[in-house]
Amino acid sequence: MSATFFSRSSKDAAALLVGSRFRFLLALGICVGLFLLGFGFHELVRGIQAPAPATLAVIYHVGIVLCFALVWILMNHVLKRRQTTPARVLWRTLVIGLLLAATGWGVSLLGRPASLTANGPIGILNGVPLSLATTVKMSVLSLLETFFAFLVLIRFRELVLFKRTRRSERNWYLMLSFMVIASLSAFMAPPQAGVVEDLFIPTGLLLIPAVVLMTINSFRLSWVIFLPWREKVACIGLTAALLALLAFGPVQRFSLSLVPDADEYLLYYSYPLQLFVMQGLIFAILYCTTTFLSLLFHLPTTGDFQQKVGEMAALQSLTNLVNQVFDFERLTTTIVASPIEAGSAQKTWLAMPDPQSGTLRPKVVASYNLLPEHAAALTDVPALYSDVQSGRDVLILEEAATDHRIEAQPGEGIGSLLALPLIARDEMLGVLFVVKEVSRGFEQDDVEALGVFAAQAALALDNARLFEEQLEKERLARELYIAREVQQKLLPQELPQLAGLSIAASSVSAQEVGGDYFDFLPLGEKRFAFIVADVSGKGTSAAFYMAELRGIFHSVGRLTETPKDFLAQANEALSRSLDKNVFVTVIYGIVDLETETLQVARAGHAPAAVIGIDGRPRYVRSRGLGLGLDRGPLFKRTLEEETLPLRPGDVFVFYTDGVVESRDHDDEEYGYDRLLDALCAHRHEEAQALHDALLEDLNVFLGTAGYDDDLTLVVLKWHGLDLFLNRKPQASAQKTPEAAPILPENA
Amino acid sequence: MSDFSVGFRAIGSVQVLDLKGELDAHTASELEAAIQKCKQDQTTQIVITGEQLKYISSAGLGVFMAYIEEIREQGGDIKIASLQPKVYNVFDLLGFPMLFDIVESEEDAVSMFSEEPSS
Repeated sequence: MSATFFSRSSKDAAALLVGSRFRFLLALGICVGLFLLGFGFHELVRGIQAPAPATLAVIYHVGIVLCFALVWILMNHVLKRRQTTPARVLWRTLVIGLLLAATGWGVSLLGRPASLTANGPIGILNGVPLSLATTVKMSVLSLLETFFAFLVLIRFRELVLFKRTRRSERNWYLMLSFMVIASLSAFMAPPQAGVVEDLFIPTGLLLIPAVVLMTINSFRLSWVIFLPWREKVACIGLTAALLALLAFGPVQRFSLSLVPDADEYLLYYSYPLQLFVMQGLIFAILYCTTTFLSLLFHLPTTGDFQQKVGEMAALQSLTNLVNQVFDFERLTTTIVASPIEAGSAQKTWLAMPDPQSGTLRPKVVASYNLLPEHAAALTDVPALYSDVQSGRDVLILEEAATDHRIEAQPGEGIGSLLALPLIARDEMLGVLFVVKEVSRGFEQDDVEALGVFAAQAALALDNARLFEEQLEKERLARELYIAREVQQKLLPQELPQLAGLSIAASSVSAQEVGGDYFDFLPLGEKRFAFIVADVSGKGTSAAFYMAELRGIFHSVGRLTETPKDFLAQANEALSRSLDKNVFVTVIYGIVDLETETLQVARAGHAPAAVIGIDGRPRYVRSRGLGLGLDRGPLFKRTLEEETLPLRPGDVFVFYTDGVVESRDHDDEEYGYDRLLDALCAHRHEEAQALHDALLEDLNVFLGTAGYDDDLTLVVLKWHGLDLFLNRKPQASAQKTPEAAPILPENA
Repeated sequence: MSDFSVGFRAIGSVQVLDLKGELDAHTASELEAAIQKCKQDQTTQIVITGEQLKYISSAGLGVFMAYIEEIREQGGDIKIASLQPKVYNVFDLLGFPMLFDIVESEEDAVSMFSEEPSS
């Protein structure tokens, strides 16, 4: 570990100086410049053996400050982008500090006089350096010391601004600003003739806020708690070493300098710089002290903290897992297992309302480390459940054994209990019970972590439920689609082909399946029966009755001679199965091509529209109750039958009420009159064309409103046997002479 | 959608239900509930008026069929009064006039109850 630290930090030091070629040259240039500036100025002072002229001194000091400002910017730039751990920061600072101190030590040995002068620093008398060695040492040592102070400030900034906030950032830069201002204020009172007496008062005042901010920044130590145990120990050692290096330095006496004698030299080298460096080192000592103590105090709790972090991470990862499970049973099992796998509890179970029972009484749907029945036996689950439900908040039983809702005996492992509501989209889906063997086992952070988990679990349950509902919906949609396919097959797949008669028919359902029905049944060669029916209501139940009616039509239809017979028998048959509030309206007819008649009866159904070649349309409205309305003799007694002669050009339109009762956007019904008008207008057309024209007329009327009922339309057109035999039916219909066309454009 | 309502009035022992709006598959349950309530109150003499009934579907007609048998067994009846022509036509097509007393005015319907011996 230390080896890598060392190699890293030496590399770091090299990078710091070298970085790129440009930066290296710049740094070198500045260092050389600074050395030459300091050296030259003090050599000049030594040469004239008196303090330098005021103008020259001002130029020198301003030059020094500006150059060091440049050094700061450069170092800041080089060190800024490094992402690293606190231990590395401390290690690198220490290593570089030691290197600098050692270098300084070596330099300070140069030309060291045998004895120290009585007042002030070595080799300087009344502000005048005594020898060449003194000026060299002064320049080099000041440079090294300042360099270290800058390094410490820039390095420690990473630690102080760990998890930075706007406020902590502000405090840091405020501290630096006050340090700079206090230092610069020293320009106004440079030390006189090598004797530093009291601090210049404005400088002292400016130092107060700087020190206050240093103290504040010294308590920015949040990185400490996140360190693992080993790193904490390493950091304790490193801060102790740094402290020792900073406070005592390599010299025997206490001084605020890393490099021997540097603070005294700095005083003459540049007084503001000395002040800044001093403040920087004070901050470093403060920060190292607080860090050291903080690390020391946090060391014993590291294990607990790491465990808590582990639990949180475990719950978090399980939360992710929970959100990937859609199978309800697997999901509930995962939910109860999670708190135990995260080490937060010994027993768990999940209670949810049981929709099957219809009472919404809570039922234990999953449990861990005990059987669901045991969970229900050990505690009064419904009481706890309803208490959580009314509070909509977590329920904590610190000493579960004494609670009246707990039926477990003290030895049965229920010391403390948490009941967490699982709430998603404002609805409580269930309650998660979490149990520890000890009483008062749940701390506030446990409750919070489990609360977050419960919220996630609730979301997952909700998702799973939605997913299942969606599946169910799709399944239903699929089944309805199949039902629709089946029902379509119950309708005739092809229409009968009969000489002299053209037929067109269609049926659409408002929903997937419907209660409309039409069909044809050949009764010998020259006769056939047809039916158009409408089961009351819509949807699935109507579809079943429609299917039943089809069965009746195909069986009874063959056996009965007249429409009246058929309807009477159908009424009897259907009445046995129809619900009281359901009825079926039917038009049943028998077309006889030999006698050229249409026999028709209407059981409550919408009346057939009829138009002859003469163009006078009418409705055939014979009397008759709907099937299922009367299950006694009344039906038979009241049912009427009509026999209509078939004349060439006659059109018969049978339909369900969906046609006449369809409404447009203004809520107006299409109605019987419009149907007759349309029939009249298109009566010359072929059955299929007429059928399409009638639907088109209805659609134009409805606009975008669309159908909201099942809709069936059957059109029969009689062309006549003779005409059919002699000519094509189409032509015959078109060319039939006509007395008075109602709408001439169709003629 | 559901602009259907049932108003309750009592004229002597006769319960009058005033239907308003459209009686279809969605609103049929409201009429059902109203008739259920009459049954609970032991009133079996019911007059249903349709002055403001704009539309009735087959599901709406089914409600009448669902209860009439039971109510007649208990000696009561459902009479229908003052229907609009269009709505009457729907009743008529189905043959309801053969099953129910459908009269022009509410008074006629109510008085029919008093003329009948209520047994």
